[in-house]
Amino acid sequence: MKSLEQLTDSVFYIMAALVQPKHGYAVMALVEKETGGEFTIGPATLYTIIKKLLNENLIFLHDESNPRRKVYALTEKGHHILVKDIERRKTMLSLAERELRGGNAE
Amino acid sequence: MKQSTKYMMSDGLAFSEKRDLKRLQKKSKEGWHLFSFLPMGYNLQKGEPKELQYSVDYRHLQDGEDQEYFELFEMAGWNHVCSEVGIHFFVAPMGTQPIYTDVESQIDKVQRLSKNVYMTAVFFVLMTVVSYFVSELTTGIVSSIFHYILLASEVFTIPCLMMVASLLYRKWVKKS
Repeated sequence: MKSLEQLTDSVFYIMAALVQPKHGYAVMALVEKETGGEFTIGPATLYTIIKKLLNENLIFLHDESNPRRKVYALTEKGHHILVKDIERRKTMLSLAERELRGGNAE
Repeated sequence: MKQSTKYMMSDGLAFSEKRDLKRLQKKSKEGWHLFSFLPMGYNLQKGEPKELQYSVDYRHLQDGEDQEYFELFEMAGWNHVCSEVGIHFFVAPMGTQPIYTDVESQIDKVQRLSKNVYMTAVFFVLMTVVSYFVSELTTGIVSSIFHYILLASEVFTIPCLMMVASLLYRKWVKKS
């Protein structure tokens, strides 16, 4: 599962959306709304990633009473990995922002 | 009576998925819409000319997975047209977001398709090798039976190996 060693943008958004339990379509809708349509997740991509995250125990089936809209949520392991990836992304951002401000005074 | 269905040959999904989908799109514009498919081609039905786009996904759905899977596509604007042996066709109005929006999942998709093709290829390569040796090492009726099995296996082995080559190429293109 190569893409899970370092979360891709799609995996990152999906995991972030699943901190609160949600069904698949709600994940797509949330990401599209929050990014103003800038970032979209196609249904095949979403389904592939959900299966992958389930396999890796990063999310779990929270409620399957509606078979058309199964609800998933982040596991503890998923939580941990998401937080770690937020740190990685923060490092990227702060480096870029510092350089844009003119870098460190030598 | 006017013809209401027609058949369109496939160039083989392993080789020319994109080209097949474009051809289906063109046919819809002329009023012929996909309604079912066979390993070698598509059945089209006469209807109103429409600007539609097609997508295909490969996935063996377990019991109880299909409802959720098709629901996700439907909510994203992609209507399920038909499925056969883990191959699913979808149709949507022009301008609908693609079903795959990242490269990683697309590589997984080609990988899922490849697995079946590789297994079939290995089977026919083994058949070819085994029937070659049996027909060489035996005489009489057994030898000629295996000679025909050899010829039959070769007929399948060659396209299988071409498919393997095409899929390896597609994976390589996606990764680079």
